This record gives sequence, structure tokens and C-alpha cells, in this order.
Amino acid sequence: MRRVKPKLLLVIASCVLSLFVSVGLTADEQKQLSPQDQKVIDYLVSDWSHDTVTSVDIAMTTLKVEPSEETRFRLGSYIKAHPELHEVIRRWGWVTLVLTPDEKLIARALINAQRDGKPSPGVGEIAKAVGISEAQTKRGLAVLERYEILKQVNKTAGAGYSILPQYVKWEPRLDFLFHKVTLDSGRQFNTN
Amino acid sequence: MLLVSSKFANDKVTIDDSSPEGTTRIHVVFDKGKLVTAEPVSTVLFMGGG
Repeated sequence: MRRVKPKLLLVIASCVLSLFVSVGLTADEQKQLSPQDQKVIDYLVSDWSHDTVTSVDIAMTTLKVEPSEETRFRLGSYIKAHPELHEVIRRWGWVTLVLTPDEKLIARALINAQRDGKPSPGVGEIAKAVGISEAQTKRGLAVLERYEILKQVNKTAGAGYSILPQYVKWEPRLDFLFHKVTLDSGRQFNTN
Repeated sequence: MLLVSSKFANDKVTIDDSSPEGTTRIHVVFDKGKLVTAEPVSTVLFMGGG
């Protein structure tokens, strides 16, 4: 068998390594976090290391980041794409950390109907069940669609959305739950 | 299910919780380890430790 020269081997290894790095984190993903976004991610990773499952909305409020669905979506998408950030993401799922309580309950309203073989509820029915306005419900549905938890179906049936199959068969411990704790000091976090 | 550590035994703790399966929200307030309010009234609390 022909021997490969060590120098050539080094070049090959370097190319393979570069390929892995570029596959793991694309240029777009590297660019997508602003310094303020990074602060939120750093806060979350630190908080998760203290036995919490704190969500993005709580971290943004704590750090007084201007409320913005776009910022929240950017941060959420980053967490969804980077489960290697922390064990909490891998154990409790990105959905638990990324969605607001309203969005989780909207998802539940649709999932429960789909699981029970009932007609998909309309926007008004979801709003009533979750205890929010129809406008808030529509915004929540749009967020869930953006995260590819829902997909648009026949607009004449219910709210016009259906849940993607993997979320209908979701594990109970990941089932769009939230446990938000507020201390008298004002500190907020989620627990499991 | 909700677990709140005894490290908050001297705090006022407010908990906003999803119900186990439905779309109901549960709101519970403890003050120094004692239950102050629980809504809805059908909320079942398990308190204790091991």
C-alpha cells in the first residue's frame, strides 16, 4: 500500500475541518446575532445553568430589551438552530424556551382538537379558550407558522392552520408547557 | 407539575402555570411558604418534599 505523505495528510485534514466548520455554522447564522442579541443568549445560558428553563421573552424583559417580535424570532431561531448551546435546549426542547405562554396555549388549542379528531377551532374560539384577543391570537398563529409548528391549510376550516405531525405526537414533557415564577424582588424565571 | 425549591421559603412567590393538558392558566401565590391564592378554584396543589 502506498504511503500518504504527512504534509498531504495535514492538508486533507485541514480541508475536512474547514468543511465541518462551514457546515456547522453558516455565514448567515454567524451574522444573525447583534451584540444585544448575544447578551440575551449569554443571560439565558447562564440562567439555565442555575436549574431554570427560562424563556426568551422573560430574558428580554429582564434585560430591558425593547419588546419586538422580530428580535424574539431571531433569538428563538438561533436557539432552535443551536441545541449545542446548552443541555436545557436538548432536554426541554427549543419550543419550551422560545414560545410565549400565549403561543403555547394557542398551539395546545389546535393540537388538542387535532388529537381528539375534532374540527379545527376558529380564531374566535382559540382566543376565548386562551383568554386573549383575536388580534393577539392571529399574531400568535403567525409566529407558530413562522417556526414551522403550524402550516396553513384550507382557510375556510377553523383558523386555517393545522399542526405539523411531529408536534401532535410530541412527548408529554415537551407539550407546550410553561411554569413562570415571579419573586417579590421582581426576578422572573421559568422552572420545569 | 411544578416544583418550587424551599430556597424561596421566605419569599413571596407568584407562579403562572400551564394546566397539564388544556388551555387553562393556573395562577398561584405563596407568601413565606403559605398558600395565598390559587386560581382557578379547581386547582389541585401537591405540596411537600422528599
